[in-house]
Amino acid sequence: MKFRGAEAIVETVEWNGQIVVSKVRNKRGYRHPSLEKRLVVERLRSESRIMERLLSRGISVPALYSVNISDNSLLMEFIDGSTLEKALREKDFRNHLVKTAELLTMIHSCNVVHGDPTTSNFLVTDKIYVIDFGLSSISEDDEDRASDLRVFLESLDSHHSEINGRDIFLSAYTKWAKSKPVLEALKVLELRGRYNLMRG
Amino acid sequence: MSTTILGIESTAHTAGVGIITSEGTILSNQRSVYIPEEGEGIHPREAANHHSEELPKLFKKALDEANLSSKDISLVSYARGPGLGPCLRTGATAARAFAYSNDIPLLGVNHCVAHLEIGLLEGAKDPVLLYLSGANTQVIAYAAGRYRVFGETIDIGIGNGLDKFAREAGMGFPGGPKLEKIAEGDELIDLPYSVKGMDLAFSGLMTAAKQKLESGYSLGQLAYSVQETAFAMSCEVSERALAHTGKTELVLGGGVACNSRLREMAMTMASERGVKCFVPEKALCVDNGVMVAWLGHQMMNADYQITEEDNVVNQRYRTDMVEVTWR
Repeated sequence: MKFRGAEAIVETVEWNGQIVVSKVRNKRGYRHPSLEKRLVVERLRSESRIMERLLSRGISVPALYSVNISDNSLLMEFIDGSTLEKALREKDFRNHLVKTAELLTMIHSCNVVHGDPTTSNFLVTDKIYVIDFGLSSISEDDEDRASDLRVFLESLDSHHSEINGRDIFLSAYTKWAKSKPVLEALKVLELRGRYNLMRG
Repeated sequence: MSTTILGIESTAHTAGVGIITSEGTILSNQRSVYIPEEGEGIHPREAANHHSEELPKLFKKALDEANLSSKDISLVSYARGPGLGPCLRTGATAARAFAYSNDIPLLGVNHCVAHLEIGLLEGAKDPVLLYLSGANTQVIAYAAGRYRVFGETIDIGIGNGLDKFAREAGMGFPGGPKLEKIAEGDELIDLPYSVKGMDLAFSGLMTAAKQKLESGYSLGQLAYSVQETAFAMSCEVSERALAHTGKTELVLGGGVACNSRLREMAMTMASERGVKCFVPEKALCVDNGVMVAWLGHQMMNADYQITEEDNVVNQRYRTDMVEVTWR
């Protein structure tokens, strides 16, 4: 497996006799070298700290094996599952949506916002894993949490318009004790011009 | 049959009249820019006064240069938004007067979409547009019937930020090009780098730069660092949009896209990513009447039906409000 994202190359490699996932942020020639260095360290540090935080609270994220600042790489557990995007095309989709909503409430209750929780960033095995913390941050702001919900709902809309996933997902999210202000913030967010029209 | 289209631009500082043929040959691109008093920003009413004095002269110059008379024009297109109310209304009034007195159809179009469509004239088919101007900072691409805004500034436009910093440093309008001239050195002063997903923020960066200037850093080195930081942010979000949409072309637009360092960075990003980069000539990156004329032509060529609403100015006419019927 090899995948080139916006800022990193993600691929499976062999490490100590097992298959693991390596994520390497490749250098950007357009950025000033000292800015590049600063950003890589900041982002590597933030991403690994957030993964550690979630791991230590028992949330299903890939185990982190190694963080290497000299070559900008992360090594982590390989999760052999299908993406939620694929899994939602199965008849079990309701159950997957409920579990994903529960997972997101757990992440939010650790004061982490994912930043990019699209249906491609969840992997389904016997449970659901969340991956890619490249855009994540520490925040307990309801608007940031609502923005996670919006990203998820938008990817549901664009890839899974055939199922009415929105209500299933949101009603599972609402079971979280702190969900009320988040859902209110979501309403405000969706009324703003750009997001409103993005749905059109 | 070849036709000629006249376009009028007046959304902010620039009054412009451009003439282009239906084949895409530019016959004239006349512009006149309102320059505010030294140390001041744009005053919408004074800019509008400037435009109302200049537009009649620009019409004449454009027609003379194109060697045409008003009856040779088959469509009048003008930018009906987004922009400053008084400036928009002045352009719209000029457009109506010219169109009605010569019995030519009139169409109001979206200014931001015009910046994008002129990039297509350069040969791009389905690009991501990095649109950097005074008030607008957006990453735009076509998806499902509209030009969608994938990322944008969440506070001020990049050009306004550059102008503001330049003004604080005692330089007049337009500040961006002046900063580009004095930028020197190759050592970077650390400034806030604010990218949130595909969105950007510039006000923290400009405030930090101003504070560093006051605490004695050299202006040339700060100008260099502001450019490096702000342009790297812009290139990063456009790279994210390219990755997200899977598109393979990048087009630059807007006045800030005239900056040589920005052009260089965008081209580096594009070649590292293996995508094509299209950089329109500077006279087509800045606000101009040609792009407005060209968009009007594209729309009418696809049998666009003009409605009453199309001829009302709209200060908040967002890119993604336009239903794209012509492609």
